Amino acid sequence: MRLATTPRWLAIPVLAVGCATMASDAPDYTSVPAWTTRAVPEARGDVRTLPGGKRQAVRYKGWTAADFGKFRTYAYVDTRPDIPVQRAAMPNGVAGDPKKGRALFMLRAKGPCTGCHLIPGDDVWPAGSVGPDLSTIADRRLTNDYLFQQVYDPRVVFPQTSMPPWGAVGVFTPEEIVHIVAFLQTLKGPAPPEKDPDRNPQTRKKPVGFGDNLDPTNNPAVLLAEDAEPQWQAKGPAGKACADCHTGGPEKSMKGVATRYPRFLPQYKRVMSIEDFLTVHGPEMTGTPLPAESEAHLTMAVRVKMASNGMPVAIDTSSPEARAALTRGKASFYRRVGERNHACADCHTPEKGANKFLGGRLLGNVTDGLTRHFPTWRTDRTEVWDMRKRMQWCMTPLGMNMLPSDSIEYAELELYLTTFDVGKPISVPGIRH
Amino acid sequence: MSDIGKVRLRIPSSIKAGDVVRVRSLIIHPMERIERDAQGKIIDKKYNYITKVTVTYLGKAVVSFDTTQSVSENPFFSFAFRATDPGPLKVLFTDTTGGRYEGTADIKFS
Repeated sequence: MRLATTPRWLAIPVLAVGCATMASDAPDYTSVPAWTTRAVPEARGDVRTLPGGKRQAVRYKGWTAADFGKFRTYAYVDTRPDIPVQRAAMPNGVAGDPKKGRALFMLRAKGPCTGCHLIPGDDVWPAGSVGPDLSTIADRRLTNDYLFQQVYDPRVVFPQTSMPPWGAVGVFTPEEIVHIVAFLQTLKGPAPPEKDPDRNPQTRKKPVGFGDNLDPTNNPAVLLAEDAEPQWQAKGPAGKACADCHTGGPEKSMKGVATRYPRFLPQYKRVMSIEDFLTVHGPEMTGTPLPAESEAHLTMAVRVKMASNGMPVAIDTSSPEARAALTRGKASFYRRVGERNHACADCHTPEKGANKFLGGRLLGNVTDGLTRHFPTWRTDRTEVWDMRKRMQWCMTPLGMNMLPSDSIEYAELELYLTTFDVGKPISVPGIRH
Repeated sequence: MSDIGKVRLRIPSSIKAGDVVRVRSLIIHPMERIERDAQGKIIDKKYNYITKVTVTYLGKAVVSFDTTQSVSENPFFSFAFRATDPGPLKVLFTDTTGGRYEGTADIKFS
């Protein structure tokens, strides 16, 4: 769904006049400059070729090294078309085995289908609710051919579905789908009574959070941010420290700054978050490199944003450049990417997956505003993550190679996400699972 | 980890003499876990983790905890004591490398 580019002479008057309809304008990719990443090596989305010719993606420590180069990413230069919709017939001569089908349904290395669909069984843990509950699907007396097509490529019947075209992208072979269909045809009602309300995503308790994120005895990130103070005072090779220009310390001099980011910065011809800006502004002024996703970078980003805690997000998207960026960011939000052919919107809009369970995870709702607690402490990682690392994490299981964390594409997507935070108070560092 | 040993204590903002006061404390510490080699054998080395937490109030030990590797990274401890007199409350963390990290809260009555 790479959208047609509008000539600039046409796009600008449209943007100036049609404020309310801005979002529906076609995004213009011609004015986006190239950007050289200033991220640490593991955050650049590089792919290297091993001596045997195998390609390996460079990601953070402990993340998969799988290369998903076959599939479309968020890169604006990636103009590959949509994955073609495929009509498929059941292969002849394969006898469906419900037992094999159930194992495939649950297999974490594939779907797992249980991430979105509930089926009976105490071993189904944890099931999601993004897709329909399939506990009694066989009672609907759907044909095998229909179910096969639904798994292979459901877009034939539902063009706007959130479900990946499992067969069309090659995650499941046709034979495997026959087994899955055979399993689904065994799911006759009534569903067995639930022993544990947490098994069923409809009755499962919603997570309650981790308490006060600004309490230093509760959120280790608050203590870690104190390391920014010596950084703030340290003179770099250029003979200057942050403190030399920004007088009064970060708390006073940075007050309210974070409420205005992400924003379009004419001197760099691009949208930048605080994090992006620090990677160029810090080295330019002090001479000390501050690569994106380095510990020093995140610490400083947290410290700068903490100075705006409690203040409402107030980004200004009125300039033509910012509006064009916002249009591109919104297009990215709805762009289908990766092996799973998902869009952000599939999981994070209330019309689709937001506030539902994906496995055991409750999916965030974009309209609540998802950015104002970043960088955030992740309790399961015991690390501080900024918005970009969170995006890269989100995109990896979708079967997609990531972009550099400071890329323009991510910045404009973040700009779009931040429009939903406007008027709501910043609270950094957040604390999340 | 450069920031090992940062300690933060939190006490209620208003305390009256004789109150039972709940103290929250957090320390930045890696609390190294047992590592195993490819064969699954425990690697024998000196792991760095906190073994003792001692709380002192008005110069007197009020409570101490013996801790092991099964306590999480950046551990959180909470405990209660009776505030009888104004004075310092100290929490001292000792780890296996001999590191001693102390946090102090000043108990004042309002």
